[in-house]
Amino acid sequence: MRHLLAPLLRHRLMPFLVVLQVALACAIACNALFLLQQRLKPILTPDGIGEPSHLIIASKIISRGKPWETSRLRDTERALRGLPGVASVSVAGSLPMVTNARMNGRVQGVGHGTRADTAMYIGDHLVKTLDLKLVAGRDFTAEEDAVRNHGVGMRQDGPVILTRSLADKLFPDQKAVGQTLQLGDKHPAVRTVVGVVAHLMRNDFGGGAHRNLDHAMLFPSIPSAWPLPSIGIRVAAGADPQQVRKQAENVIQRMLGDGMVRGIDPAYDMYGALRDQALARYRASVWLLAGVCLVVLIVTLAGIMGLTAYWVQQRTRQIGIRRALGATRRSILRDLQAENFLLVGFGSLLGLMAAYGVNLWLMHHYELPRLPWSYLPVGAVLLLVLGQLAVLSPALRAARVPPVVATRSV
Amino acid sequence: MTMFTYYLELAWRRCRQNVPIVLLVVLTMAIGIASCMTATTIFAALSGEPLPGISDHLYVVTMDSRTQGDANDAAYDTPQSLLNLRDAKALVDAHHADSQFAQAQSLAQVSTTDGKHSDRVIGLLGYGSLLSTLGVPFRYGRPWTEAEQTAHAPVVVIDATLAEKLFGTSDAVGRSVTMGTGTFRIIGVTAPWKPRMQFLGLTQNAGNLLGQDMQFYAPVGAALDHGVGPLNTGKCAKSAPVVNFQSTHVTHCRWIEVWVSLDAPARASAYRVFLTHYAQAQHQAGRFVQEPKPRLFGTQAWMDRLKAIPGDVGLNVVLAGGFLLLCMINVAGLLAARFLRRQGHVAIRRALGASRRHVFMQHLVEAGALGMAGGVLALPLTWLGLWVVRMQPVAYAAAAQFSPGVFAILALLSLLVGLAVGILPAWRVCRQPPALQIKLA
Repeated sequence: MRHLLAPLLRHRLMPFLVVLQVALACAIACNALFLLQQRLKPILTPDGIGEPSHLIIASKIISRGKPWETSRLRDTERALRGLPGVASVSVAGSLPMVTNARMNGRVQGVGHGTRADTAMYIGDHLVKTLDLKLVAGRDFTAEEDAVRNHGVGMRQDGPVILTRSLADKLFPDQKAVGQTLQLGDKHPAVRTVVGVVAHLMRNDFGGGAHRNLDHAMLFPSIPSAWPLPSIGIRVAAGADPQQVRKQAENVIQRMLGDGMVRGIDPAYDMYGALRDQALARYRASVWLLAGVCLVVLIVTLAGIMGLTAYWVQQRTRQIGIRRALGATRRSILRDLQAENFLLVGFGSLLGLMAAYGVNLWLMHHYELPRLPWSYLPVGAVLLLVLGQLAVLSPALRAARVPPVVATRSV
Repeated sequence: MTMFTYYLELAWRRCRQNVPIVLLVVLTMAIGIASCMTATTIFAALSGEPLPGISDHLYVVTMDSRTQGDANDAAYDTPQSLLNLRDAKALVDAHHADSQFAQAQSLAQVSTTDGKHSDRVIGLLGYGSLLSTLGVPFRYGRPWTEAEQTAHAPVVVIDATLAEKLFGTSDAVGRSVTMGTGTFRIIGVTAPWKPRMQFLGLTQNAGNLLGQDMQFYAPVGAALDHGVGPLNTGKCAKSAPVVNFQSTHVTHCRWIEVWVSLDAPARASAYRVFLTHYAQAQHQAGRFVQEPKPRLFGTQAWMDRLKAIPGDVGLNVVLAGGFLLLCMINVAGLLAARFLRRQGHVAIRRALGASRRHVFMQHLVEAGALGMAGGVLALPLTWLGLWVVRMQPVAYAAAAQFSPGVFAILALLSLLVGLAVGILPAWRVCRQPPALQIKLA
């Protein structure tokens, strides 16, 4: 151990620079990886939508002056349903991946203390149109879908369908179907759980990272007094989605066109395209952060390599002496690797502390969650491996130093 | 000076001896500088005053002005800037600030009276001295007068772009346009104008980060009379529908913002007193059902509060700054190794009479020159970085523009980085006594 530490303490500049570099790289890489994971969340969360290539979403259907009359929306829905190749139509307050109209709220199971933040999708036939997978209970009945909502429908009693993860959160260790839940405190509208679907992604992906993106619930019937509905159209298997999209556009324009806001045109997207649009920002961020991580690691690798190469060259004579005194090539190699391990390990340790400090600062300024402890060992191991890679070539060169060097120009 | 060129020549000769390391040094520095420049360019474009010299005197009025009808809404946990038109008018008419106006954004179809030319444009409905307070530059004509405003005279100010589109000339004063159901006389034409960042009507402008061109300005009374309403009627009392677009039925709604201009901090505190009196009077009279909690926010404070600038922008600067630091340490290490390898040369120079200062300067010049080389390489890289950002689906993409200011900072930054990373290795190499160095050589 002493023969490892002594040279490090005698020539302090090189070890100091290696340690500093590793510490900084570790701090940056840990935080960048963590940010990367945050940005990946909306991309990786299952959205629950079946057959995305056969779902058309019409959004930005904004009424001018006053909200749409419910009867008018129902007529439009009926006309759309009559189109060839349409399997199911939903008129909803908002739909997944529609980001200009969102309904969110806090719910609480009646008799349970747990609250959860969730998205609300209010619309008829949503399970069928979105092709959601029911894992318990049943879909809404035709009667439930025909109920006339007061306002958008948030403040009235009725049935509800939850995602599995929301059900697990609200009613842990219990069957959710048959339980009741309420929205907020002031408006104790009670909803009875009739069904549970596997997944359904909420449409506000930003905000706190504690937020579970798979927390969503469905209310039946279509919202009244709502100026910006979205319409989901499920295309029957075998029909041409583009064809149906064109026809649906004509129908909606014919039925609702004269009541629309002037200057903003409705959007008719295939669900897949809408999803790409909505998540584009996150994908861009992921690429950027991945790039940052990669460049940081490459720069560090090159840096450690350059420094170690010099450090080895400077000690060529000492290595020669050690070889002359009987040290094997293997032990020279192992010593240099151990030395690198020590330096990088120490640097990573400092870096982990710095990473944590940086994260605290970022949390304070940019609403980021706390860096999980699990990131720290990952960061350290990453850099240790990197360090060993960087030292390999200079160390091999050192191990090839012949003992005869010791006799030269002392 | 001759020493300087001599040092440069020495540096050049040494660089040619070990090209790969020099390339690595220059490239590392260039990447660090370029990433830092890209992030700060965007940050600089998005920070600072939305209207330089004007918005720092502007304050927005917030209060809980909910009346009987919407008493059932959720608690008042964040300050609200949207007011009922009645309160907005009362506050503006009080003339208690240096200047004041109320405004709401509108989207309207503006056409010539014969209907031949027409355009859909964004503009502001205003009350009070909207145009003069915001400093919108006039090409022709004038803003509306108080008399016109009171009389609901159908007058409008449009911008030069719209005037040219409708009339083929920017001097359109005296002509008329059709908006909503009415005919409005053009009394002024402004130069194209937009704030650097969106700061008016922030609560209704989610997603719009950069300012948009405002193409018409109409007094709110006449506009509402003729069917030109705000884009968003904001929050309406329970008796009226909840949220509406392009409606002129706004009597029960809170939809318009009041901005006041106050030159001195003392004036701001005086205005706060006035505001409290007004709000309390309304509360006591039974109009405002809740404790009104009136507050005044400066432009910057208001934008910060509503997180008008996405956190990503600042985060990227932090990330890029950290990365530049890493690159600098890296280069310092590489330079140290490079300089110390040549101790023999230094020893000979020292033995021949060069002072430590000379040796130090020589190495610093070399480091500075490498830094500048890094800067030159960083220039296309920064341009590339900004281009990549412009391609991204982010609200601030349009802010990623290369400017001469950026170039100047880049040049300075690269020199500074070069010198900063050179100091430690240069000091190190000039410290050892000549005798030892000769021996080592």
